[in-house]
Amino acid sequence: MATTWNRRDFLKTGSAATLAALAAGAPMASMLSGCSLTGSKIKPTADTVILLWMAGGMAHTETFDPKHYEPYKKGMDANGVLSTFPSIPTSVDGVSFSEGLESIASVMDRATLIRSYVAADMGFILHARHQYHWHTCYEPPQTVAAPHFGAWVAKELGPKNPVIPPFVDIGQRFTLGEGEELKAFHTAGFLGSEYGPFLIPDPSQGLDSVRPPAGMNLKRFEARNKLYTELIKQSPLEEVSSGYQKESLKRSMEQAYILLNSPEAKAFDLSSEPKESYDIYNTGRFGLGCLMAKRLTEQGARFISVTTEYEPFKGWDTHENGHSRLVDMKKQIDGPVAKLVKDLEESGHLDRTLIILASEFSRDMLMEGRPGATVKNQVKQPDIINEEKFYGMHRHFTDGCSVLMFGGGVKKGFVYGKTSDERPCKTVENPIKIEQLHQTIYHTLGIPPETNYVVEKRPFYTTPDGVAEPVMDLLA
Amino acid sequence: MRNGRFRTPAMACVCLLTGIFIIASAFGVAQEPVPAEPIAEAVETEPFWLWMLLGRFHPLIVHFPVGLLCVALLLELIDWKGKSAALRNGILILLWIGAISAVMAVIFGWLLAGNEGYAGTNIEIHRWLGVVTMALSLLTLLFLKRGWIAAYRYSLIVTVLGVSLAGHYGAMVTHGEDYLTEVLPLSKPEGEEGSLASNNPNFVLASLKQADTLTLSQQQDLNLEVRTIFAHSCYKCHGSDKAEGELRLNSKEAFFKGGEDGPIFVAGDPGNSDLIRRIKLPAGHDDVMPSKGKTLSEKEIEVLTFWVEKGAPWPDKEKSIYYLAPLAPRRPELPVAQGDITQPIDLLVDQYFKDNNISWSGTVDDRTYIRRVYLDVVGLVPSPDSVEAFVSNADPHKRETLVKNLLNRDHDYTQHWLTFWNDLLRNDYTGTGYITGGRFDITEWLYQALRTNKPYNQFVSELISPTKESEGFIKGIRWRGTVNSSQSTEMQAAQNVSQVFMGLNLKCASCHDSFISDWKLSEAYAFANIFADTTLQIARCDKPTGELASSAMLFPELGTITTDAPTPERLKELATYLTQPENGRMYRTIVNRIWAQLMGRGIIEPVDIMDNLPWSQDLIDWMATDFVDNGYDLKRLIYQILTSKTYQLPSVSINEPGYLVDKDYVFKGMVRRRLSAEQFADAVSKVFTPLYDSTSLALKRLPSEAIENAPFPRASLVVNDPFLKALGRPSRETVITNRTSQASLLQALELTNGSKFSEALHRGAAEWKAQYANTDSLVAALYMRALGRPATPEEISLVESAIGPKPSEENIQDLVWALMLVPEFQLIY
Repeated sequence: MATTWNRRDFLKTGSAATLAALAAGAPMASMLSGCSLTGSKIKPTADTVILLWMAGGMAHTETFDPKHYEPYKKGMDANGVLSTFPSIPTSVDGVSFSEGLESIASVMDRATLIRSYVAADMGFILHARHQYHWHTCYEPPQTVAAPHFGAWVAKELGPKNPVIPPFVDIGQRFTLGEGEELKAFHTAGFLGSEYGPFLIPDPSQGLDSVRPPAGMNLKRFEARNKLYTELIKQSPLEEVSSGYQKESLKRSMEQAYILLNSPEAKAFDLSSEPKESYDIYNTGRFGLGCLMAKRLTEQGARFISVTTEYEPFKGWDTHENGHSRLVDMKKQIDGPVAKLVKDLEESGHLDRTLIILASEFSRDMLMEGRPGATVKNQVKQPDIINEEKFYGMHRHFTDGCSVLMFGGGVKKGFVYGKTSDERPCKTVENPIKIEQLHQTIYHTLGIPPETNYVVEKRPFYTTPDGVAEPVMDLLA
Repeated sequence: MRNGRFRTPAMACVCLLTGIFIIASAFGVAQEPVPAEPIAEAVETEPFWLWMLLGRFHPLIVHFPVGLLCVALLLELIDWKGKSAALRNGILILLWIGAISAVMAVIFGWLLAGNEGYAGTNIEIHRWLGVVTMALSLLTLLFLKRGWIAAYRYSLIVTVLGVSLAGHYGAMVTHGEDYLTEVLPLSKPEGEEGSLASNNPNFVLASLKQADTLTLSQQQDLNLEVRTIFAHSCYKCHGSDKAEGELRLNSKEAFFKGGEDGPIFVAGDPGNSDLIRRIKLPAGHDDVMPSKGKTLSEKEIEVLTFWVEKGAPWPDKEKSIYYLAPLAPRRPELPVAQGDITQPIDLLVDQYFKDNNISWSGTVDDRTYIRRVYLDVVGLVPSPDSVEAFVSNADPHKRETLVKNLLNRDHDYTQHWLTFWNDLLRNDYTGTGYITGGRFDITEWLYQALRTNKPYNQFVSELISPTKESEGFIKGIRWRGTVNSSQSTEMQAAQNVSQVFMGLNLKCASCHDSFISDWKLSEAYAFANIFADTTLQIARCDKPTGELASSAMLFPELGTITTDAPTPERLKELATYLTQPENGRMYRTIVNRIWAQLMGRGIIEPVDIMDNLPWSQDLIDWMATDFVDNGYDLKRLIYQILTSKTYQLPSVSINEPGYLVDKDYVFKGMVRRRLSAEQFADAVSKVFTPLYDSTSLALKRLPSEAIENAPFPRASLVVNDPFLKALGRPSRETVITNRTSQASLLQALELTNGSKFSEALHRGAAEWKAQYANTDSLVAALYMRALGRPATPEEISLVESAIGPKPSEENIQDLVWALMLVPEFQLIY
């Protein structure tokens, strides 16, 4: 236990020190403003956040907010198609999902479903910009590097278990199209790289990130580390010099050694999951990401993001064949998401774990942008559908998106907000913007809405100007 | 009935006290308890002495109910089964006294709170908890007397809870809100003694205190100091955005008007000024100001008190609270050379040392020096041969010769300094914007400019008034879709030019009038408009104002922009105006950046805020002027610094990185630095085996001469990757002027099991094994190459005992890994 405490102490002092060290435009913890320190205390209802990211724009009418269904017929009128799937009941009376989400429908009684998320209006639609905005709460570009909200959580709360990195990001590769744009928000920005994401692009390879290098057994790994510590002791400069760089170098190495050697690292090893359970999760990389999220949560993770992975024109980014593509996407998410909820419930973690399933915006067959702010179409969509590839939601729609939440203090079996039953299926009740959503999440974690740091002498808040408030209606 | 004898006198007592209270109130003496926040009026009428006296008995009396009621409950608990009637009788007595004293405590407390100006939430909670508890105690008494034992017991428990809570709130009022919590770790900081918010170097309170009457200028200075304190500590709640208690302190008019209770000060009488009373209260007190965050420092309180004493002068002609460093160059006289201190930098530092009672701490040895200058000039560790040749060279000018030779290695120099300039000029080989043609790199131009050591004035000119090759800097990064008007490419140019070349932050003012400086929105737009092809429309916080921007320099004294000239002409004017020698600020900025790069800390910090005070004004001024006088020569500047005795001082270790940006920082020598990501990668490549192969190079962006003249694929020339990123190479979406020296877990993981480093260890070990069959020869070679010194006998035997006399490939991998992670390798000493 004693060593654990040392680690924890290190994490605290280390972080304060890093902040202070970022000299140019030094983001100093805003002690002077006192906001984050003396603001009213919020009692947290969650310790861990799992973000299930539906990258590429998940159509609400095809998933959690089904509308009038029109089966495919050659020569059909596009304007008559609001959903390309029939509705199915859920475990909550009067709440329907779209076909293909039967498992998640069975846990709707544990969920809060927001049907009125309204994405930003940023002109010509670009996935990477909307994703940047969703994850950082700031519209790009920014004059200072805005942190991912996982980095904010990591910074404010630190790791829950000192040997598990506080911000783990599962499933996104950066070598695909728009990779640079994705990198721009997968960062701790001005908070400093130590709060940045621990990247696990492929969950089935996750263990590699936390075990000794390939081909090195534990014995050799320990011997190597011993040699390192002894060489330090022998260095003639060791006695005459100290200083924060050196101390932090030594401590960070020690910490890495402990992580790579710790029993918690097993959480990254999916092969030790019982086969029956593994098979349900194994719908591909996203499903296995959910499995890793479950395992990490049970070992004390703080913030985990699992993505279906963004790649232009892949995944949820359906520019054609929307209907048939979504059959596959639903298969990918339905089993693992429901299983994740049930497993965490069973192990007693769901109450203190907030799960959020969301996407950067929604889609519609005809409307690009939103009513009143339509933008240049990016997809050709004939009014009369003669080919099946035109049957689906192919345009980017920003005025009505679904966000599903479980656990961590949100209501159960609750639906918030409403979209129109006529095209355009836009939000007609209780619109929620990203800053409110973020503040609601921060609220469940006990992070006050006015939390900020001074960067280049200006306060930089978790959400713009720190004015947004949590949506208390969502909370139990 | 058995307790009847208590009834009469006790009731009489209660009646008597209540009577006194009612009669007194009826007298209508103007002393009726004044409600919360007596503020200034309280001074005018002193409350009736008796009420004050009785009030002051509250703290005495209040302990009776607290103690007695608790003991009553305790006894009740002890005898829960109710066996002892005697005990019950005792409890009854306790309850009687407890209840009566509770009534008295409430009455006295009411008087006290009313007469002595207590106010706030805590006092209100305390007040009503007290009243409720009093009522409860009477109720408990009633229940017991009626024999309703269950009700009595519950009531007693609730009463004790009430009295405890009331007591707690009372304690917070008298002892401070954090009375309990302040002894816990992480409690709230108090203002440091002696710190002043302001930047004004000329303000000395003591000298003002000696003056009988203040001159206008002195009044302005004093008032400036006061407003700086207000801005720093009070504006958050009492400024333009917020007026808690209807009070604003951000203008003369608002300050004199006061808050919801009227004026907050009495001119000439600090003792009766609520402002002064409240800032002097201890942290946590209900009335203390600031109520959030740090309390004011003693010096700040002294300034405010003195100001009120002098009648709170607030001249109509205010001085700005924001210090703006002078623009013009300055040529301080050099101190006379003494002994071996002859070099100008050393002379000025010597003066600084004398002023600060610091003595020269010596000069680093040859091995330390050669490693330092190699890393600082060409970014590489020296080879064993060069180290030995240098150490054995007896020439007294060998250090100067070494630096000169290194600076002449044009490509090596360029490939090191490219990293610094890429960060500063936001130039990268990959990144956002390229995908849609919304960004242009300047790599070829930059490489050539560094290789030919382009004079800095010309260098800046070509970036501002660019050719095709150098236009990427002011073109900014254009994202598709609509962007916030403060992020238009023209505004990006304005922000980046002012930050990079002038050490001036225009980011606030590009959205609204700045809160942290005097820069106005219109000035930011006028500057941005110089870069615009079509006149910019001014938007405040992204909302169009309908006004059109003019075109003007931030410092009009530098020149007038011809508004109707075509953009290239305007940019030419801008370049000429900015780079003229009269723009001392620009040259101070670059000199300071280079100094910070070589010494680990600028003469001014942060290096982007050139309005902060330098630790030596003479030094920065002299160096900037000298730089201009001698051809704007960056290499000459580097030479000058590296050959100074100042640079050769032993490095200083800093335990608390915050100290580096502290305004009380004292210079004693180079601050120990960590190798940058690029220096570390290149060191691995040079010492052991190349980390990168040619496929990693940014071939599309680099000039062929860079690739042809690189000893191996240097890290400054490769596309950013997870390894360099973990070690601190930023993504250059915005201007980066400082990298952290702090290590992190993600970094350590990358070094411990990341593929880049591991693969290099594998590759290199095979070659090394072929060359070094024995551990001792291996260790000897490795130490010389990595650390520039022979291994000690202890080190050799340590390694031998760890890996045996004949190393395997794995042994070599492990040894190299271990050695490259020791601080001696990773730091510049």
